[in-house]
This record gives sequence, C-alpha cells and structure tokens, in this order.
Amino acid sequence: MRTVIADKRWAEKYPEIGTGPVAAEPLISQEHFELEREKIFRRTWLNIGRVEEIPNPGDYIAKDLTMCRASVLIIRGRDGEVRGFHNVCSHRGNKLVWDEKGTCKGTLTCGFHAWAYNTKGELTWVPDEDNFFDLPKCDLGLTPIHTEVFEGFIFIHLAERPPESLREYLGGVADQLEGGGFGELALAKRYRVDEHANWKIALDAQNELYHLPFQHRRTIPEFCVLKDGQFTRLLDVRLFNHHSVYSSDPPEDRVGPATEKLAARFSVAETESRLPRIGSFDFYTIFPNMALLLFRGVSHDFYMSYNFWPQAVDRTDWDIKIYFRPAENAGQRVGQEYFTCLLRDLLQEDATAHEQIHIGLASRAKKELYFQDEEMQIRYFHTVLDRFYAEA
Amino acid sequence: MSAQKLPAEFADLEPFLDWALATERERTGKRLASSLEDIQAFYDHMSARVEAAMAYLNAFPLDTLPPEAERLFHLSLSLMEVANAVEMFQNPAVINGFDVKRFAPVEDV
Ligand code: FES
Ligand SMILES: [Fe+2]
Repeated sequence: MRTVIADKRWAEKYPEIGTGPVAAEPLISQEHFELEREKIFRRTWLNIGRVEEIPNPGDYIAKDLTMCRASVLIIRGRDGEVRGFHNVCSHRGNKLVWDEKGTCKGTLTCGFHAWAYNTKGELTWVPDEDNFFDLPKCDLGLTPIHTEVFEGFIFIHLAERPPESLREYLGGVADQLEGGGFGELALAKRYRVDEHANWKIALDAQNELYHLPFQHRRTIPEFCVLKDGQFTRLLDVRLFNHHSVYSSDPPEDRVGPATEKLAARFSVAETESRLPRIGSFDFYTIFPNMALLLFRGVSHDFYMSYNFWPQAVDRTDWDIKIYFRPAENAGQRVGQEYFTCLLRDLLQEDATAHEQIHIGLASRAKKELYFQDEEMQIRYFHTVLDRFYAEA
Repeated sequence: MSAQKLPAEFADLEPFLDWALATERERTGKRLASSLEDIQAFYDHMSARVEAAMAYLNAFPLDTLPPEAERLFHLSLSLMEVANAVEMFQNPAVINGFDVKRFAPVEDV
C-alpha cells in the first residue's frame, strides 16, 4: 500500500499554511456574505454546467445566480460555439428565458413584447419597430458574459475583463485533469439539496475524510486508510493557486457490505476506462464553490460534481451530479444504482449535519475552529477566502 | 388470465412485484413507506436471485427489455435502493437523514 500512516505530514509539506485556530465568523456573518458577493463570486470563474447539457445548436441552459444578482444564459450557436450572456432583454430588462433548460430553432423571444435574438445574442426582431425612436438595433444584442470551457466544464466570469483565462485560473488542477476524457461519461443522477446552511459550512464539511468513521459510521466507516483502524490518513494533499485536492485509498483489509460486492461483480466490463486519478478517490475543491470527485470504479471510473450556490447567508442550493460511462448492460446499470443510492444516503447524513453545524456556529458560542492535519485543505480554503476578502 | 408478469424462471418473485418501480423517486417512496420487516423479506429473497437476474437480463440490449424482463430489472434496482436500509441502518429511512422533499432527484431514472 502506498499510503503512509504518519502524523502531521501535510503541515510539513505546506508549512506556510500554518497550524493555528481559524475564525468562525466568516461562516455565518452577513458582512462576509456581502464581501463574497462582490469580491469572490464576481471575480472568479464559476462552473455553470457541462457541454453535454447543450449538445445541439439552439440548446441552452439558464441559471439565476442569486449570489451574483445575475441570470446567466449559456447557448450553443448555430455555428456550434458555446456562448454566455446575461439572460436579460434589451427592451425593458425582462428575464429572457425562464426555464432552466431548453432548445430553440435559432431564435429566443422575450415573453413581454416579443423582441427576438439569435443564438449569437444579436437582436433580430422588434415588433412595431417603426414606432420606436432611432433604435440602435445593432448595439442591442444580449450582454455577453465571458464563457470558457475546460474539458467540457462550462465556466463563466462576470468581470468586464477577467484577470486570467480559465486555464490559467485552474492552474495545477487543469494540469492534472487535462485530457481526462470526462466527455465519455454521462450524467446519471442529479440531486438538488435545499439546505439551511451557509455554503462554506457545506463545502468545508465535504472537504475532509476525518469525519467518515464517526458521522458516517453506519455508511462508509472504512472508505479510507485508517491509522490504528480508527483515524483516516489521506494518500495525498496538494494545494494549488486557489484550489486543492485530497486523495485517499481504501484500507487493504476492507470488507464492505454484501450488496456492494454484488454490485461490484455486476459492474465488471470487458474494457477498462480510467480517469486521471491520484488515489482511488480524489476530491478537488475548485474555488470558490465547486468540487469535483473522482472515484475508482470496478472497470469504469466515475465522477461527481458539486456546485454550492449561496442563496442567503444561511441557505444553499447544493447541486449534486453523478456521471458514469453509459451502462452497456443491465448489470452495469444496477451496479451504478447501488453506488448512487449509497452516495445519496450518506450525503443525506451530511446535509443534515450541515444544518446542525450552522445552528451551532450561528450561536457564536465558538469564535474559532480547530483543524487537524487531515483537515489541511479546509484550512487552505480559508486562507484563500481571506486573500479575496482582503482585496481592494 | 393476465399475461405473464415476470420471465417464467423468476415466477418466485411475483409476490414482490409491487417493488417493480421505474423511477428512483418511486423506489425511495416504497422503501420509506414499507416496514423494515417487509424490506427485509424483499431483500432476502431478491438478494438470492439477483445474480441469476443479471445473467438473464444481460442477454438483452438494455434499452429494449421486454416488459417482463423490464419488471425484473426494476426489481433489481429496488434491491439496490433498499440494501442500505438493511445493511447499514436497520431502518427504512437513513438515520439522521434529510427531508427527502429537500433532497430531490432531478434526472429521475
Ligand atoms: S422587455 Fe423584452 S420585449 Fe419588452
Ligand atoms: Fe460526509
């Protein structure tokens, strides 16, 4: 086994991140929430979805970003290009598209007075146009939003001029995941969790494995190598500019439940397909609000994404997506169902806990949080937050 | 007489046909509405038959299962749904679970 069962390896690897307590206030305060609105969510690349959601010309997705006070439209043009716009009509500002997903035959028409736009965002039709006063129609297209795609993941940036390209922003994460073949997998399950908790409480609680033998004692107590059979020991922690990844391997002597063994047998395929994993399980935190989870599958690796969309300081829309290589037969499909049911059930344990943590922290009985070495990546996330809070 | 509900060699699963549900929402609903005893009975019986079921079903293309094979497929998915209730929680619902109305499957298959 590659995993070293030693203490305090990550603080040794990254001494500059420190070891002291971390302030709890940013997790619950309205003031920090407003800082995040201005200094983080409008200044970073945000993942909106994947290209498979809009495979054909005219397909679009629309998303209200409460945190950014914006509504975003991502549309595939007739030329095949993926473009992003503010989902706002140039006439009197009505939200152009109201459904979250759809397709058009080349024209999007506003429901209020039927101004129409093509898939490049150009204004093409104004009813009763002659009755307007010198309408500068050419300038009245939809307002573009910087939109870039990495390995099929669509990101937007709301700044007028993003300080760096998406590739530069992702940095070491992109180095690791580039060419990973994510497009060969397809969305199998998606859950939307309406959580009464701060988005960072939810993300922090996912960003470690320390809690597995305790909070998940019923579901996945033996997911990760354990020191003395009790305490998780990660395979690796890597910190990038803004982002991080932690990796783990399962204990060598892991037994696992009976149905998991059945599901594993059903999941065997003739050919293997692998993702660019570091360990058996990798958890990327892509700043600010995305996580990407890579899993070793029996024959086919699979992955999940999380997007934590803040709705209010104490309310989060946790968007969970699970992607598999499409099943070739009933056995593989049934095997996938086992793993998605397991993930769903244990993430329910988490969702419940997120809300309880929020209640605990909101009492302000505790001013500081204490992170152990296995929680280094959360500590790092908070230093990145601090960096953004402090920006001009 | 009604047409045969399951492939002939799986007729022993007929008493559990109300677990042959097409969507995750329905399967979860059935799990939550059932007693642990009923779940356990389905789990015990289906666990013993699911490998044979897979051997049978894998002979068909997944997207063109005949109706009686499709019911067998849905029964197998229901086994995956209830496995944790038996093996992990000894309870129909997740212990310390979340309000399922606020933890909703979006692409429901
Ligand atoms: S606001 Fe869109 S047409 Fe009037
Ligand atoms: Fe967890």
